[in-house]
Amino acid sequence: MPGRWISQIVFVCIWLGIFVLLGLWFDGLGWWLFSGLVLYFIHTLRNLYSLDQALRGGKYIPPQMEGLWAELFAEVEKLKTKSRNRKKRYNRLFREVKESTGALHDAGIILNSASEIQWFNPAATRLIGLDPKTDIGQRIDNFLRHPDLVKHLSNPQEEFLTIPSVRGDKGQLSIQVIPYGKSQNLAIVRDVTKEVQLERTRRDFVANASHELRSPLTVIGGYLDALADDEGLPDNWRNPINEMERQVERMTQILHDLIELAKLDSGESQIPSESVNIVNMMRLIVHEFSDKKGIARVQLKLNTDVFLSGSEPSLYSIFYNLIHNAVRFTPEEGEILCTWSLIDEGVEFSVKDSGIGIPEDMISRITERFFRVDPGRSRELGGTGLGLAIVKHSLETHEAKLYIESEIGKGSLFTCVFPKERIIAHTEEL
Amino acid sequence: MEVEELGQHISRSFNEELEQIRNSVLQMGGLVEEQFDRALRALTDADSELGLQVAQDDVKINQMELAIDEECSRVLATRAPAAGDLRLIIATIKTITDLERIGDEAEKIGALAARLATVERPRTNYRELRNLARHVKDMIHGSLDAFARLDVQLALDVVKADKEVDLEYESIYRQSITFMMEDPRMINRVMDVTWTARALERIGDHSKNICEYVIFLVHGKDIRHSDLRNLQPEVTK
Repeated sequence: MPGRWISQIVFVCIWLGIFVLLGLWFDGLGWWLFSGLVLYFIHTLRNLYSLDQALRGGKYIPPQMEGLWAELFAEVEKLKTKSRNRKKRYNRLFREVKESTGALHDAGIILNSASEIQWFNPAATRLIGLDPKTDIGQRIDNFLRHPDLVKHLSNPQEEFLTIPSVRGDKGQLSIQVIPYGKSQNLAIVRDVTKEVQLERTRRDFVANASHELRSPLTVIGGYLDALADDEGLPDNWRNPINEMERQVERMTQILHDLIELAKLDSGESQIPSESVNIVNMMRLIVHEFSDKKGIARVQLKLNTDVFLSGSEPSLYSIFYNLIHNAVRFTPEEGEILCTWSLIDEGVEFSVKDSGIGIPEDMISRITERFFRVDPGRSRELGGTGLGLAIVKHSLETHEAKLYIESEIGKGSLFTCVFPKERIIAHTEEL
Repeated sequence: MEVEELGQHISRSFNEELEQIRNSVLQMGGLVEEQFDRALRALTDADSELGLQVAQDDVKINQMELAIDEECSRVLATRAPAAGDLRLIIATIKTITDLERIGDEAEKIGALAARLATVERPRTNYRELRNLARHVKDMIHGSLDAFARLDVQLALDVVKADKEVDLEYESIYRQSITFMMEDPRMINRVMDVTWTARALERIGDHSKNICEYVIFLVHGKDIRHSDLRNLQPEVTK
C-alpha cells in the first residue's frame, strides 16, 4: 500500500480517536463521534469541490492541505500541463500540415467510400472551384461531372484520367484516385494543360511530317521504278538503283506506320464495333506467308470460330504484325504456330515461334517505338521498329491485353487476350 | 433549404434514394455537358465524324431521362414525400426534361456541325458562334453547379446571363440576314449558322429554366414569368 494511503488512514484514525476520547471525557460518545464524522465529511466535500474546479480548468485553488489530497492535486496539475503541451504540439503540427498542403499546386481531396468529399486543400478551390463552406459532404461527381470520371469513381484504379477542366477554358485536368486506409480515397487533381498541349503538338508534328514526306517519296519511287525497268541502264547502275528502290519502299513503310500510330494516338478512344470474322482473316494472313520461300512454315490452329467486335483494319494489322514478326525472327527450318481459342477471360490469339527469342530484360521494352533488341539485325531484316507499338496501341483500343513470354534461342510466345464483351458468337448465316 | 437538410430522415434508405436521385441528375448533367463540348469541338474543328457521333450518342441521355423519371415516380408512389423532399422530386422531374432538351439541341448542333464541316468556312471560323457558345457553356455549368450546391445566388446570376445570350443571338441573326442579302449563294451555309445559333440560344433558355427550378427547390417559390427586379430581395435573403 502506498505511503500516502497509510498516512491518510492514520490521519482519519487519529481524528476519530480524538473525538472518541472527547466523547468518553464528556460522556456523550454518540454525539461527539457524529460531529467528528460531519467535520470530516465537510473537509472531504470542500476538497472534492476544489478537485472539480481544477479538473474543469476553472479557477485553480491551491490546495491548503497535505497528504493524499495534495498528491492528488499535484497529479491533476501534471496531467493538465502534459495535455496542454501535447495540444500545443498537435496544433503546431496541424498548422504545418495545413500550410504545406496549402502550398501544394496539386489539389488533394479526401473522399470516403461513397465518394463524398471529406476534406480538400486550397488548390482544390483554385483548380476545380470547390467551396469549403458548402461542398464538404457532397459527392465529388456532383461537381466534376464528366462521364469518364463518374465511371472511374465507381471502379477506382490507380490510373491517371484526363478530363477537360471545369472552368470554361481549354484546360485539362489529370485525376488520380488512390485508395488508402479504411475505404478512404485520396483524389489528386493536377493541371496538365501544358502537357496535353505539348503531347498534341508532338503528335500533330509527327503526323504532318510523315504525311508531307510521303508525296516526294512516291515521286522518287516512281522514277526509280521506271529506271529499274529501263533496258538501256548501264550494268554498274543496276545494283544501286535496286538498293535505292528497296530503301524507298522501307521508308514508305516507316511513314505508313508512323501515320498509323499517330492516328491511334489521337484516336478519341472511340471503341470500334464492327463484327469481324477472325477465322477468315487469319486464313488470309497465313495464306500470304505460305507462298513465300525461305521462311519458316506458319501453321494455324483454330479452336473456335467466334467473331470479334472491333475495327477490321486494326485487327488485321495486329495479327499481321505479330505473325510477320514471328516469321522475321524465325529461321527457315523453324515452326510458327498461331492459335485462336476461347479461354476463361475471353478469347485468345497466340503466336508461338521457335526463333531467336528476346532477352528477358528487354521484354518490357519491345513495345516502345523504334526499340530494337539488336539494331543491326532487325534493320537487315527490314523492320520499321514500329510494328509492336502499333499492335500494343490497337490492342488497347480493343480493351485487350498483350502477354509476351520468351526464352533466348528457344522462341517466343505472343498472346493477345480479348475480353468476353467483345466476343460475338458465330451464327450460321454470317 | 440547405444541402444538409436533404439527409435528415429517420429512414436511411429514403435518404439514400433522394441522394441517389440528385446524384443521377448531376450525372446526366455531366453527360449533357460532354455532349455539348463535343458538338462544339466538331463545329470549331470542322470534324464531321465527331459531329455525327454526337448526334448518335444522344440516345444515352434519353435513356438516363427515362431511368430518373421512373425512379422519381417510384419514390412519389412509395414514400409520399412532403415539403422539401416533394420539391426535390418535382424540381428533378422538370430539370431532367430540360437537360434532355439541351441534349437534343446538342444533337442538332452536332448534325449541323457535320454539315458545315463539308462547306467552305469563313475566315473567322465562326467566331461569333464560338463566343455565344462560351456564354452558353458557362450557363449550363452554372445551372448544374447551382443545382449541386442549392446556390440561389449562382442560379440568379445564370438567369440574368440569359439576357446577354439572347442579345448575342439576335445580333448573329441580323448579321446572317445581311450576309444572305449580300450573297444569295451563301444562304445555305448562313442558314445552318443561324440554326446553330438558335440551338445555342435555346440551350441558354433551358439552363435558365433549370436555375428557376433550383430557386423553387430552395425557397418553394416559383419565379417563372416574373420580373427579376421585384424578386431579388425575397429570394436572396
